[in-house]
Amino acid sequence: MRPLDPRLAGRIGPARRYIVTTALLGFFTALLIGVQALVLARVLAPVLAPGPLTDDGLGPLGFVVPLEARQLSVALAWLILVVGLRVVVTWVQERLAHRAGAQVIAELREQVVSHATALGPRWIASGEGTAVATTVTRGLESLMPYFVRYLPQLLLSVTVTPVMMVVVLGLDWISALIVIGTVPLIPIFMILIGLVTRERSAKHLDAMQRLASRTLDLIEGLPTLRALGRERGPAARVRELGDAQRRATMGSLRIAFMSGMALELLTTLSVALVAVTLGFRLVDGNVSIETALAVLILAPEVYLPLRMVGTHFHASADGLAAADAAFEVLEIPVEDSTGKPAAPSLHGASLVIEDLSVATPDGRRLAPARLNTVIRPGTVTALVGPNGDGKSTALASLMGLLPADSGFVAALTEHGRTDTIDVDLATWSTQFAWAPQRPDLGPEGRTLSLGQRQRVALDRAFASARPVLVLDEPTSHLDRAHRDQVITRIVAAAQSGTTVVVATHEPELIAAADVVVDVTAMEVAR
Amino acid sequence: MKELRTLIRECDLSKPRVALAILTGSAALGSAVGLSAVAAWMIARAAGMPSPADLAIAAVVVRFFGIGRGLFRYLERLVSHDAALRGVVALRARVYERLAAAPADSVLSLRRGDTLARIGADVDAVGDAVVRGVIPLGVAFVVSGVAVGINAWMDPAAGIILAVALAVAAFGAAGLTWRAARLAAERSVTADARVTEAVMSSLDGAAEHRVWGTAQEAHEALQDADRDAVSSQEQSARPAAFAAALQTLCAGAALVGCVWVAVKGAHYGEYGPTTAAIIALLPLAAFEGVNGVPGAVTQLFRSQKAAQRIVAMAPNTDSRGVSTQPAEPDSAEPGLLTVRLTELQAAWPEMTPTVPITASVGPGQILAIVGRSGVGKTTVLTTIAGALAPHAGTVDIHGEGAHTVPAERVGTDVGMTAEDAHIFGTSVMENLRVARGDVTEDQAAEVLELVGLSSWIAGLPDGLDTVLGTGGNSVSGGERRRLLLARASLTTQPVILIDEPAEHLDEAGRTALRAVLQHLSAHNRTVVIVTHHLELTDLATEVVSLDA
Repeated sequence: MRPLDPRLAGRIGPARRYIVTTALLGFFTALLIGVQALVLARVLAPVLAPGPLTDDGLGPLGFVVPLEARQLSVALAWLILVVGLRVVVTWVQERLAHRAGAQVIAELREQVVSHATALGPRWIASGEGTAVATTVTRGLESLMPYFVRYLPQLLLSVTVTPVMMVVVLGLDWISALIVIGTVPLIPIFMILIGLVTRERSAKHLDAMQRLASRTLDLIEGLPTLRALGRERGPAARVRELGDAQRRATMGSLRIAFMSGMALELLTTLSVALVAVTLGFRLVDGNVSIETALAVLILAPEVYLPLRMVGTHFHASADGLAAADAAFEVLEIPVEDSTGKPAAPSLHGASLVIEDLSVATPDGRRLAPARLNTVIRPGTVTALVGPNGDGKSTALASLMGLLPADSGFVAALTEHGRTDTIDVDLATWSTQFAWAPQRPDLGPEGRTLSLGQRQRVALDRAFASARPVLVLDEPTSHLDRAHRDQVITRIVAAAQSGTTVVVATHEPELIAAADVVVDVTAMEVAR
Repeated sequence: MKELRTLIRECDLSKPRVALAILTGSAALGSAVGLSAVAAWMIARAAGMPSPADLAIAAVVVRFFGIGRGLFRYLERLVSHDAALRGVVALRARVYERLAAAPADSVLSLRRGDTLARIGADVDAVGDAVVRGVIPLGVAFVVSGVAVGINAWMDPAAGIILAVALAVAAFGAAGLTWRAARLAAERSVTADARVTEAVMSSLDGAAEHRVWGTAQEAHEALQDADRDAVSSQEQSARPAAFAAALQTLCAGAALVGCVWVAVKGAHYGEYGPTTAAIIALLPLAAFEGVNGVPGAVTQLFRSQKAAQRIVAMAPNTDSRGVSTQPAEPDSAEPGLLTVRLTELQAAWPEMTPTVPITASVGPGQILAIVGRSGVGKTTVLTTIAGALAPHAGTVDIHGEGAHTVPAERVGTDVGMTAEDAHIFGTSVMENLRVARGDVTEDQAAEVLELVGLSSWIAGLPDGLDTVLGTGGNSVSGGERRRLLLARASLTTQPVILIDEPAEHLDEAGRTALRAVLQHLSAHNRTVVIVTHHLELTDLATEVVSLDA
């Protein structure tokens, strides 16, 4: 997986701005760390040197920190200034990180939700809807540690590490060679170990997830077991599955931690090598004490961002996976009907359903399969048939919410026939007054019971002056008195000229309908 | 932290393992501190231009520390994860046992919400408290102690400076981080909940929004909620930013202080250059342990929340003692019991009680409870099952010898099939054996025939052994209902309660229900069913309505 998804920077404004500012702050941090090392070298050199220091031991970088810093008071002033600036940079960086993270999450969430709604009800109902909801709420939250912890370290590793390498090069080319030689080894080793262990860890991971889901399944089924008096047995099974899971997990961890070990080993060992080499070269008088001190202090700083990137790798993986899931949704093309001519008024129009088939999300069945009917104004048409055979789907197709896999939905007016595929669907759909099975009604609606919501949705449908009334199981969740009342209202609406379509199992409502249409499903031949 | 402590205790963590993890972790970070100290000594010593042999040992030690860090860290991670995983396995079993032994009313009401679905993650979070909370804190303490010890041994003033800076960095950051985590948690119940609601409304209602032209409003509601979430996020992050700044400040202050002490000490000849170099440079490496404190505190906070959820769901039931219930209820012919309801009113706390009902149902008979939706039919059933105390009136379940069945009867004398009973992710056969452990293939085939699932089974790749709920073998709503009915007809309890979902029951479902009811009454069971379908009530020996 790429450490930074280019789509984040490309499409999300706050992400782009954050990356740029964090990179700049990282660069500034690098300079401060460099100055701090040089000041320490200046002030400690007179203490360590056997004789008085005459020339500038820092070579070409000597101009950065004046020789006066060899005096304690000057050096301390410099150090306090550097520390103060580092504190400010740290604070600004943290604040920016949290703000940017929250903004990116909000922005991405809004884009994904509005794209998902544009993709339409079928896509949402195909099970992708729940996945999208999880992605944009809990899923995207894992972008927070990505932005706050991982990304800054990643950017530090491309700012601080190179800057430090240049500084070390300016001080002492032999130490610089050691550093330049080892830094590229780190990604190479990590990739090699990753390649070697990938198959094994994938196998372990698979076993782990299987065991975990089986344990959870037992826990989730506990109320059911309890209701049948069978809850005692599985406790041993939970323990057994858990032990198997622990063994699988440890197997995968033994491998997974190896790349971490390689990282730590390489970085720390390189620092040790630099230190030892410096020590022997000092004895030979090949390097000045000031340079040696500065390089010794800087060497760990070269590797620190790389190590931190490794530490926060998990934050990166989760965050990027969430972003990836979000972008996957954003990349699904939307079929757009705006620009097509507006639909004719459906007042007094007959609606034609011709050979309509819609495949179920799993593609195994057509529900409805080859549905044919003409729905006339001023009548009540009832769609009947077993559950899952496509009554609600037929209604959604009729309203232009779902494209047909084959067949047509059209309006017959005095101007002739108009197919839904030829019109701007927004102007078609909004002519229907629809009371769905589980009405949503927005956040306020969520506090109501299903029966109450049903009644509110029915009231809204009856009260609108729209030409076509579409009611999906209008009498479910209702008691007898309300049911009779709804049937009376349906009949009255038809008598006043409205086109009424209902999907129902209710015998009394079926009896009140003018036309009854059987909706049937069909297995798809494989 | 009480709940987290309790649960960690229940993990039966092996103390030597945890100690070993802290020890190896400290060795790893200690290697970094050691490397820094010995390297400083070596450079200082080398500056005096001794013979190279004088540096030989130091060079070896430096290299050893260079390797030690990676090696010890690897060991620490293995040991700590192993200890925590063992704990999680133990805790998972304990939580399961706790839940299994908890009062029936609390277990049966667990079906609501996603609490159960979250329990796995919550138990893991308790394990994470060990790996990412307790052990890093232990390591931070040990390593800081070592660094302070080294400096204090050379110069007490430097030791004090380092100790104070480390303590402020650790405790200050811990306090600020805890505060940030608490603010964030408070936020999540308000701002984040609003966002989730707006998202759900946008998505679930997408079709409705299209028809009613309300999509724009829904999107604006989401933007509004998001703006709120961003600003409260910023507020809760403020202490975290202060914590990070405080740690940088403390590390810087320690460095300034130690350089000052070291240079002064060397100047006045209190110690030589090697000692001064170690004192001055040690703060650069000493803060790595303490820098892990915010992460550890955040983890502890998260784990504590998870622990609270677990404890709330599965309160400790040790005082109840171990149930005497056998693991496998015997499958012998069930006894005969009669259920008598007298002026029974049922209610969950704060719910309007149901109207009083009086009825009696004996072996081979069926009592149908009808009523409009939301009137409390399921609540009445739960009360009959003994999982909920009657609000008023009595439930009397007695056998022929007039012995009365005790209140804690669900699972023993009363078997209940809930509207949303669980289908396990295992084979069809095992799902039927949930009712009774010794179901044979013939018996399974018989009940599946009864509910009209024979052809469905025949169409499954492995027949009765097909694993459900994975890959393509998903179960449709209708098949699920009928499978649950097949399970209900295999139960052994003398009294069978069936909570039938009223909505959208199709013809096949109704036929299956009739068949199962006839089967149960033919086998002398006492059946109570909750239903919307008045046409089923012709099978019932008695019908009571909950409508006022």
